[in-house]
Amino acid sequence: MPDDVDMAEKAGDRDETTGTTGTPAAPERKGRGVLSTLERWGRMRAFGPLVGTVILVAIFGGMKPSLFFSAQEISGFTALGSSIGIVAIGAGFLMISGEFDLSVASVFALAQVTLGKLLNAGVTDVLAIVIVFAVAATIGLVNGLITTRFGIPSFIATLASYLALGGITLILTQGNTVLYFGSGFVKPLFGGQVNQYISAPLLWWIGLAMAMWYILEHTRYGNWSRAAGGRAGAAFAMGVPARRVKTMNFMICSSLAALSGCAQFASYGAASASNGQDYELYAIVAAVIGGTSLFGAIGSVPGIFLGGLILGLLQTGLVLVGVPGEWYTAVIGGILVVAVILNVKLSGLSLGNVRGRLLGGWQSTVPASSGQ
Amino acid sequence: MSTLGAGSSVQDGVLGPRSDVSPHAGSDAPPAIELDGIWKFYGTTPAVRDVHLTVNAGEVVGLVGDNGSGKSTLVKIMMGYHRPTRGTVRLFGQEVALRSPAQARNLGIEAVYQDLALIGELSLWRNFFLGREIREALSRAARLNRPLMRNICRTKLEELGLVHIRSADEAAAVLSGGEKQSLAITRAVYFGARVLILDEPTAALSVRETRNVLSVISAARERGLGVIYIDHNMEHVTPVADRIALLEHGHVIATFRRGETSTEELRELVAGATLGSLRNRWDEEWNKRG
Repeated sequence: MPDDVDMAEKAGDRDETTGTTGTPAAPERKGRGVLSTLERWGRMRAFGPLVGTVILVAIFGGMKPSLFFSAQEISGFTALGSSIGIVAIGAGFLMISGEFDLSVASVFALAQVTLGKLLNAGVTDVLAIVIVFAVAATIGLVNGLITTRFGIPSFIATLASYLALGGITLILTQGNTVLYFGSGFVKPLFGGQVNQYISAPLLWWIGLAMAMWYILEHTRYGNWSRAAGGRAGAAFAMGVPARRVKTMNFMICSSLAALSGCAQFASYGAASASNGQDYELYAIVAAVIGGTSLFGAIGSVPGIFLGGLILGLLQTGLVLVGVPGEWYTAVIGGILVVAVILNVKLSGLSLGNVRGRLLGGWQSTVPASSGQ
Repeated sequence: MSTLGAGSSVQDGVLGPRSDVSPHAGSDAPPAIELDGIWKFYGTTPAVRDVHLTVNAGEVVGLVGDNGSGKSTLVKIMMGYHRPTRGTVRLFGQEVALRSPAQARNLGIEAVYQDLALIGELSLWRNFFLGREIREALSRAARLNRPLMRNICRTKLEELGLVHIRSADEAAAVLSGGEKQSLAITRAVYFGARVLILDEPTAALSVRETRNVLSVISAARERGLGVIYIDHNMEHVTPVADRIALLEHGHVIATFRRGETSTEELRELVAGATLGSLRNRWDEEWNKRG
């Protein structure tokens, strides 16, 4: 993923020579030095998670090379990574636009339970999928409207829907697991296996990450999302419909949580109200490890992708190298703190503090004019 | 002081719109923006009371008043945040109903806010083009034309003399307060503003930065924009304003032209107006009791 960004940057440079319309401007002075590369990665906030991923692969791969690079292990951590990673992309994108969604775990479970119940009741695959995503998008819409129209913090608004939807899912299942043995296309679409390494959820994860990266970095909507997360008031003053953008991102977030729930259901053929437990927190953990700021505006989709991958790597890798499974959450907690500290330190690079210090402060060369 | 006719202006709100003649525009050219009998109530409290104000193209009008005098409310009405309870807004003679900041911007009204100028986390070019992003002409995927926007942004920065900015990809947080204001004004002019509203643009700026911002404002006037310069401090406004309107309790109590009055006289006037309004308030209190 991070390679995509770099390639796009280069592609952008190429366009530069032809893209201007008569503005007599020298081409953008883009540094190629180490500091500037560091700065670009730091600005993207994908530098830390990239290093973290490399370190984890080196540790686990170095300790148990034959096991770690086996098909079973790779499909294991990509399955876990994609499950939380798809949720994290939606939650992280929403965080970049300045809001939280704690209801994703409940949406995850509700979506797969609804899908299972509908399919078992004989509803056609297409209709069942349409209903599930309509429900998910509606939940996102309600979360967004409550947050933006009533001015209630999204933390509270989505905590309420987390509880309410969790309860509804329990009522629907009565605590039972919904099993599915059908042969429709829901299974291959969301949970199929391309070969022993590549599964449908992994492809969804990668595809969605690329799509959301493109939207965030290369479209007006992405610019608006970031601006709404930075200062919604300023964005609104510049003509950005900040509330609508945030509400839309709530809908995207819920839809991705539902998709991840469907993918898990299709992979294992079982849906339960307890599936996706704690995802509301792990999605935020993945986004934060991936460099997303809790205060909005800062973050990148490649970073969030790597954050999900790191969670998947840890969960399977720790077991692989013989660390008892109970240590998983403790390790995550430690990494979370280190990631946040690193990201704060690295973000200093992008704000020019380092260069400012190197050059000895600003040399203002603004011409002093008469000013009447 | 003679033209002020203090007593009558306190009563009438002075600015007969059509009697205004700008030094730049012809007398028959409609004003860039015209507020005609604007009232705004918050609940039952009038924040703005029967304000008449015209700003011609190529003219800087200072709008001076203390905190709570209704300046912000007027800005919000002109920017489409609030709709006036009564009265009309005309843009170059055309009556307009301003419903949102986006619509106001589309009509050519741009505002530079005291603290809302830029978003620190976003890069300079993303800030510059926020809400007005350029997309690639033949793009099916609505792809932003980032190289073009970077180039324009950097060219504009260099015109402003911000040569220590290395690239348009820097976060806007690297700019100083004066640079932010100057960039915001330049951005407004670039996007074809016909009316420019500045809300205390020199508050919290150094003397040198203030001078730079004022020269950017003068440049905007030279380009034929109608500029409304809002400040609570008379001395900030006098160096650039062609006319100054004095706002007190939501009402324009006096206007005067550049050169007619010295800063000292203005200061006295502001003090007098405050005393006058104080007396009015006492009267109101008295009437309530009576």
